[in-house]
Amino acid sequence: MTDAVLQPVTTALIELTLWTAIFATAKTNMIGGFGKESYLAYVLWTAFVGRIAANWMYEFKMADEIESGSINSILVRPTSFYGSYLSQFLGYKFIVSGFSLVFPLLASYWFHLPLISLRILPALALIVYYLILMHTISFVIATLAFHLTRIHSITVAKNLALWLVTGELIPLDLFPEGIRQVVLWLPFSSGVYIPVAYLTGRISEDLLYRGFLSTTLGIIFFGAVGAMMWRWGLTKYTGTGA
Amino acid sequence: MNSLNINSLKKYARMLSAFFKASLVADLEFRANFATRIITDCFWYAAQIVSFETIFRHTDKIGDWNLAQTRVFLGMLFIVDAFYMIFFSDNLDKISERVRKGELDLLLTKPLNSQFMLSCQRINTAIIGNLILGILWLMFSLAALPDFNWLRLLWLALLIPAGLLSLYSIRFAFSSTALIFTRSDNLQYLWFQIYRLGMRPDSIYVPWLKFVILTFLPVAVVASVPTRALLDPPDLWLFAWVSVWTFALLYFSHRYWNYCLKFYSSASS
Repeated sequence: MTDAVLQPVTTALIELTLWTAIFATAKTNMIGGFGKESYLAYVLWTAFVGRIAANWMYEFKMADEIESGSINSILVRPTSFYGSYLSQFLGYKFIVSGFSLVFPLLASYWFHLPLISLRILPALALIVYYLILMHTISFVIATLAFHLTRIHSITVAKNLALWLVTGELIPLDLFPEGIRQVVLWLPFSSGVYIPVAYLTGRISEDLLYRGFLSTTLGIIFFGAVGAMMWRWGLTKYTGTGA
Repeated sequence: MNSLNINSLKKYARMLSAFFKASLVADLEFRANFATRIITDCFWYAAQIVSFETIFRHTDKIGDWNLAQTRVFLGMLFIVDAFYMIFFSDNLDKISERVRKGELDLLLTKPLNSQFMLSCQRINTAIIGNLILGILWLMFSLAALPDFNWLRLLWLALLIPAGLLSLYSIRFAFSSTALIFTRSDNLQYLWFQIYRLGMRPDSIYVPWLKFVILTFLPVAVVASVPTRALLDPPDLWLFAWVSVWTFALLYFSHRYWNYCLKFYSSASS
């Protein structure tokens, strides 16, 4: 409930207040080419999508398993560490999303905020696809626990960096054009900016397709790094206990 | 009576010093984690700075502050937050877990104030690096202000401790609730959301919310009030209110802790 509703609702209220204040004091009705309603819709959806796209809990769990040695129980079974956690992660996110996304949907209709209903499914598909990338990155970070004793701070650092480059903190439209283009080619914008901007009518299909492409490349890249790190880690790992 | 109080203060100062040394040794044992914690908070600072710098590329003001004034606000936020992270954050985050595991038993039997022990036992020495960065950022922001009266920095000797203690008192009260409900994780999340209100300039909020964050949940005291002390002519009534209210909150948090202790049942046999 906290993850699905409480946190995103509070975040949305604070960000809506901030953007209302920005438009109240701005000398123009348009900022970065978009009006007040467009920004309110963006920050409303971002608060919820951002929670869905982030991975804290399962990354901590994976790292803890390696740190504590409880990974032994998985290593001796004919199952994949990556796969078993991916299924848990996606299952949890599906449940959270089911509860969570009802709120911005209702709020968008209630307050007449920009939302293109036909785009909801493609946007959700990109978010789900991005979750696979997120899990793969989490897997890479968790494998660091084979070599370093405590890695929780790396998870925090990664999520803070993603906060910025996914567009969760501020819409990428406001970045200087050069930086915006670079960030849009990175797979991380597929977590928040692209699906939310697509839903709320800020961008066209082209960027959505680019999001799918960059996410695919990201999964391949981080998947390869993860496989290498996993093999390297296992050569160093010593499992003890009965 | 006075000598008793002074001796008592000396004892707690010695304890704090011992906690600091023990924490530093423990932190340096995991050096990679120590370094990453500093870098992690730099990401958080960068996120806050980039966020406001980017917004100000498109507008002159947010609420009643311009970019230069908002930079000062961020400096104050970084400093008070760093102090809070150094002294209290790790300790208060773990109260719920310690209650669940019955770890309070040992602590409650010690000849020291249990609230003090529980709040200050672990000092996060890595964050001292972030505190220095916060101070540098504030100095840079103040130097960019035209005609800034540097004597106003003296107000911070009152307002930073006030902000820190207000923050501590509310957070401690939230954490103490773990004694009643055993699990209070959701309350901790709720607290963090309230704290986030203080991470934005108070001028963006509607009057009733501004009143709430200056009184019942005084998260505006963390950064907005000290920033006003630096930027605006001194509002003595506001500063007096903040000081008195901080002591009141500290007192209430202690009373509430004692009340919650009645619900604690030892987990050990």
